[in-house]
Amino acid sequence: ILSLSRTEEGNSQFTVTMGATVPTGFEHCAAEEVREKLGAEAKISKDRGRIYFQMSSDSLPLVHQLRSVDNLFVVVKEYVDYQFKDSKEETLKDLQDLASKLPWTNPLEVWKLNNVLKKRRWRRRGANVSRPNPSSDGAKEGTQEGAADTETQSLEAEPEQPGRVEEDYEDNQGQQDKGSAETGAEGTPGVLKFRVTCNRAGDKHSFTSNEAARDFGGAVQEFFQWKADMTKFDVEVLLNIHNNEVVIGVALTEESLHRRNISHFGPTTLRSTLAYGMLRLCKPQVSDVIIDPMCGTGAIPLEGALEWKHSYYLAGDNNDQAVNRTVNNVAHIHRKRQEKGCGPWGLPIDTVQWNLCRLPLKTASVDIIITDMPFGKRMGSKKRNWDLYPSCLREMARVCRPGTGKAVLLTQDKKCFAKALSRMGGLWRKSHTVWVNIGGLHAGVYLLKRVASAFGETPEDTDERRDPRGAETAGEEKEEN
Amino acid sequence: MKLLTHNMLTSHVKGVTKGYPLLIKATEVKVSEVEFNPQFVSRMIPKLEWSALVQAAEEVGHLNDLPTELLPDYENNEEFLRKVHRVLLEVEVLEGSLRCPESGREFPISRGIPNMLLNEDEA
Repeated sequence: ILSLSRTEEGNSQFTVTMGATVPTGFEHCAAEEVREKLGAEAKISKDRGRIYFQMSSDSLPLVHQLRSVDNLFVVVKEYVDYQFKDSKEETLKDLQDLASKLPWTNPLEVWKLNNVLKKRRWRRRGANVSRPNPSSDGAKEGTQEGAADTETQSLEAEPEQPGRVEEDYEDNQGQQDKGSAETGAEGTPGVLKFRVTCNRAGDKHSFTSNEAARDFGGAVQEFFQWKADMTKFDVEVLLNIHNNEVVIGVALTEESLHRRNISHFGPTTLRSTLAYGMLRLCKPQVSDVIIDPMCGTGAIPLEGALEWKHSYYLAGDNNDQAVNRTVNNVAHIHRKRQEKGCGPWGLPIDTVQWNLCRLPLKTASVDIIITDMPFGKRMGSKKRNWDLYPSCLREMARVCRPGTGKAVLLTQDKKCFAKALSRMGGLWRKSHTVWVNIGGLHAGVYLLKRVASAFGETPEDTDERRDPRGAETAGEEKEEN
Repeated sequence: MKLLTHNMLTSHVKGVTKGYPLLIKATEVKVSEVEFNPQFVSRMIPKLEWSALVQAAEEVGHLNDLPTELLPDYENNEEFLRKVHRVLLEVEVLEGSLRCPESGREFPISRGIPNMLLNEDEA
C-alpha cells in the first residue's frame, strides 16, 4: 500500500501540508523564502516560530533547500480549535482514541520519500569521500591548529539534506540512526522504532506534555505495532499543543539542524537559520562589501557567501580562537565543495584579525555591517557593553558608506544599545527591528541605515575618541566564558 | 588574504596619515577557483584603488598582463574582467606580512589571516 513507485504518473504525487520551525521573529522571512523557492503561500502559526504551507510531495527535495528553516515536519492533522474535556482522564483517553483515526498514510509516504532522499545523498557521498573528523584537519593545516582543536566542541549529529551541495558535514552519530532507519524504510517487514515528542503551551490544560506523549504514544504503538525507542527511533511523531490548537505531525529532520555550515563550534555559535534571516533583512546586492567585525566562528559571513555569492564577505574578530575557527569552517566548506567537483569551489570570503573599535579599513569602504554583538549574560559583561557599544557604532559608521550603507546588529543588551544609538542620530538611523529568541534570551535584530553625512562632520565624531585600551580589553574578554 | 581585502586594508597606527596601501611581502601564495561573475567585477572596480591593486598583484608575483591603467569601457570587456576577477578573488596570500608604508610596522599574515591588532602603545 505504501508503494514508492514514482514512475506511476498521477498516483504517486499528492498534496501535503508541511510545517516548519523557524527562529522566532523571522516567520515572515521564512514565508517569503517559501514563496520564492516553492511558490507556496505560508501561514504563520499563532504558536510563534512555526509556519505551515502546502506543497506537492514531488517538491520534497526543494524543501530541503530552505535556509530559514530549523526543523521540518509533515502535518498529519491540524485542529484549530480542539475541544479538550474537563478531566485529565477523559482528555488523555480522547488523545488515545485519536491515534487510530488520523490520516497517517500520506504523511508516512512523505516520511519514506524523505528517507530515500537522505539515503541516496549519503550513499553518493559515502562512495566519494572518506570522513575526516575535525581534529585530523589539524595535521594538514599546521601546528597552530592543535591549540584551536582542543577547544573545539564535538559536532552534534547533523543529517544530510538532499538538494543542497554545500551543506554536508561530519555525521558520526548520524550513521547509527541511518542504520536503524534502513530496516524499516526498505519496506521489509522490519519493525519500525518511534517516539512521540509533545510540546505543550497554555494554562488551561489538565495534563502535562509527558502524560500526553505517553498516552498518545501508547495508542500509536498499539495501532502500528511499532516499537518505542527514545533514542534510536525511525519515526518521530510530533504532538504540538498550543492552547486549543493541536497539530500532529511526523518529523522530517532531526534536532539541531541549526548549525549546518559549522564544523568547528565556539561558545556562542549562531544558528545558521538566524544568520540567514539577518542577511535577508539587509538584502545583499551585487558587489556589496559585507563585514562581520565580531564574527566568532564565522556563521554569518559563511551563510552569506553560500547564499548570496554575488557579494564579498570579510569576517573579522580580535580573538585568536575565533579567527582560527572561522578559517577552519571556511576551509571545511571549501573541501566539501571541492569533493563534489561541481565547478569553482572557492567562496567570496576572507578572514582578518582586528579590533572592532579600530578597524584597519579605509573610511567609507564597506556597504553592510552585520554582526551578533556580545550579550551581557552569554559573553562579556554588561558594564563593558556600556563602553563598547558607542565605540563600535562610531567606528562602524566610519567604515560604512554614507547614504547607502546599512548595519544589521543582533544584541540582547537592548537598553545599552538603545542608549548608545540615541547619541548617534547624525550617523545612524533606525530602520526596522525584529525581536528574536536566542536560547531563552530575548534579543533584538536592529536594521540601521547609515546617514548620508560624511564621517568627521557630525558632533558625535568630534568627541574625543574613547580610550582604545578600555575597548581592547573588553574585546579580549569576549571569549573568556 | 585575497587582494580585494588588501585593497581595503590600511594601517591605523597612531599618528600615521599615509598608511595605505600596505606593502605586501608574500612567502606563500595560493590560487583558488572562484566562480566568475562579470557584474560583480565591473561594479567592484569603481570601489577599488586601481594602482594599489596593480602594485599588490606585482608584489605577489601575479601581475601577468593586468594593465596598469584601467581600460575604458571595461564593463563590456570580458577578457579584462576575467583578469581582474582572478587577481581580486583567486590569488591569496597564505603566509607573509603587510608593512605600513609610513611607520614600517609589520602586520603578519598566517594561514591566510592578516593580524592587524595593535599593541597598546601604537593605538
